[in-house]
Amino acid sequence: MAELDEAARKLTIKLVYYGPAMSGKTTNLMRLHDLLSPDLKGEIMTLETQNDRTLFFDLLPLGFHTASGWLIKFKLYTVPGQVVHDATRKAVLSRADGVVFVADSQRSQGINNAESFQNLEENVRRVGLDFNTLPMVVQFNKRDLPNVLTEEEIRARWSAAPWPLMMASALTGLGVKETFIKLLEAVYPVLDKSFSLSDIHGTDSLTFINTVIGEPLGNPG
Amino acid sequence: MEIRARGYDSALSLRELLSGVVPDKLSAALAVLLCSPARIVSVDGAWVMDDTPPLAENARRLPLAHDLETVGYLETTAKDEARVRAVTIIMESFMRSGARYFMASEMHIEVVKSDYEELQRKHAALAESEARYKALAENLEARVKEQVHTIASAHRQLYQAEKLASVGQLAAGVAHEINNPIGFIRSNLGTAQSYVQKFQSVAEPVRSSGNAALVSAWQAADLDFVLEDFPSLLQESVAGADRVARIVSDLKGISSVDKTEDEIVNLNDSIRSACNVAARQINDHADLELALGELPPLRCKAGHLGQVFLNLLLNAAQAMHKRGKIRIQSRADNEQIVILFSDTGCGIQPEVLPRIFDPFFTTRDVGSGIGLGLTVSRDIITAHGGSIEVSSELNVGTTFTIHLPIKQENR
Repeated sequence: MAELDEAARKLTIKLVYYGPAMSGKTTNLMRLHDLLSPDLKGEIMTLETQNDRTLFFDLLPLGFHTASGWLIKFKLYTVPGQVVHDATRKAVLSRADGVVFVADSQRSQGINNAESFQNLEENVRRVGLDFNTLPMVVQFNKRDLPNVLTEEEIRARWSAAPWPLMMASALTGLGVKETFIKLLEAVYPVLDKSFSLSDIHGTDSLTFINTVIGEPLGNPG
Repeated sequence: MEIRARGYDSALSLRELLSGVVPDKLSAALAVLLCSPARIVSVDGAWVMDDTPPLAENARRLPLAHDLETVGYLETTAKDEARVRAVTIIMESFMRSGARYFMASEMHIEVVKSDYEELQRKHAALAESEARYKALAENLEARVKEQVHTIASAHRQLYQAEKLASVGQLAAGVAHEINNPIGFIRSNLGTAQSYVQKFQSVAEPVRSSGNAALVSAWQAADLDFVLEDFPSLLQESVAGADRVARIVSDLKGISSVDKTEDEIVNLNDSIRSACNVAARQINDHADLELALGELPPLRCKAGHLGQVFLNLLLNAAQAMHKRGKIRIQSRADNEQIVILFSDTGCGIQPEVLPRIFDPFFTTRDVGSGIGLGLTVSRDIITAHGGSIEVSSELNVGTTFTIHLPIKQENR
């Protein structure tokens, strides 16, 4: 749940990149840092890595000021993908406003994807969120690699799922911004309902998204 | 709004961000780097690093940002733009490093706490499951013991019942077979006695007849002696036949173990019957002494109790290494019948004494007993609501004491 600080006129939104180990969650964040140009953009803060693997989490802060003078802050987190760090994943996931599930497109990774997705569902429940209403986007990463599932196969498998499916190659930046925009589209209605973004802050969905990614008003992406 | 513990993602103040540096040393270093006085102030002005006093009016205020927001200011009178920028970058790096440390430690605490709680939960679940299994195991052991005891007891009774039934059938058959001949023998002996009297009545007429040939033939056959001896011979035979009849009757009583319904009997009669049946075995080894007191009639399974008395008598007889004495006492007191079987036999060794009622325990040679006599005797006495105890002294003798309640309710 987003944090509202009336005194400081600040709304903090938490978005989490979840997924199996080595699926490219940190790479997604690094690309976003390069691709986005909002009013405010912090450096990626990486907490403890071991052999280039995330132990705790990575954090990318983004933000902008609304016409009403409020600060809308985004905190983009990644979770450690390795199975042993479940307590950390749970802690990072708590109070999330939206989730990108980063799956590995390689054919060999089917079981890891499934287990991680199941783990996400469990942890969402454990931290008191509703899996059915939590804004979420599923990203199939590593499209640039050989031996990946075809997009048709993926779409067939996930046809019954309600979440947007995005194809990406985080290493090259393909689909990274698009995934983020899809998530913002899913998050905005929930925030608007809770905080009247549109009425009070004069920020409609398009403005909201364009401002975050730093595009001039118009067609995003 | 919900109050929650401080998490890794809480907003941090300037003071918290700089908690890792030594204030006076940093202040001094900043002054040197800027070649001018400087101080670090929080965004609301409430906290000043190293409590540096306010600077001159013309001091500049440069924002120090962390996590997209200004959290404090660098105040300095320095004019060199490059130096001021460099110091700002250094300060922000310190703050970033502080934030990193703070987040990592908060996350660590959270994870450790969560892991610990998980462990505690697992431990509690494990302890609960262990307790459940322990209870089950204890219960199981008790139940198995109980079952084994029930089965063993049932087995003994079945064995004894079959044994007694076959003994009973045999005894009943023998008794029936003997009863008929003994009946006509006894009857014929009575007739024979009256016939002898008739012979005696003709003795005097023969003697006084004066027929010399008849008298000499009478005397040659010694018929005077025959007529005198004959009644006593018959009398002894009658006594013998009566004794056989009595033994047969006692045998029937003793063997009536297959009777399952209660009878009302005087236990002294049962004791006497047992003595009669065992008489031969006893007479070879010991003198029997009965001291039977007045007993009230008792409702009981007489055949079963008779079996107990016979058992104890035969045991006593077998305990005699040299000729000794077996004494049976009975009395009624305190609403119960007390019967003692004492012998002057070899006694029972102290280490064996606690085990003599155990099933299949025997000190006799293989083949001469399977060790169920005393076990079954105790089962029978217990079934009558009574008890049986033993006391023994080696080479002096053994006493079995039976207590039977006179009022047997709920049996």
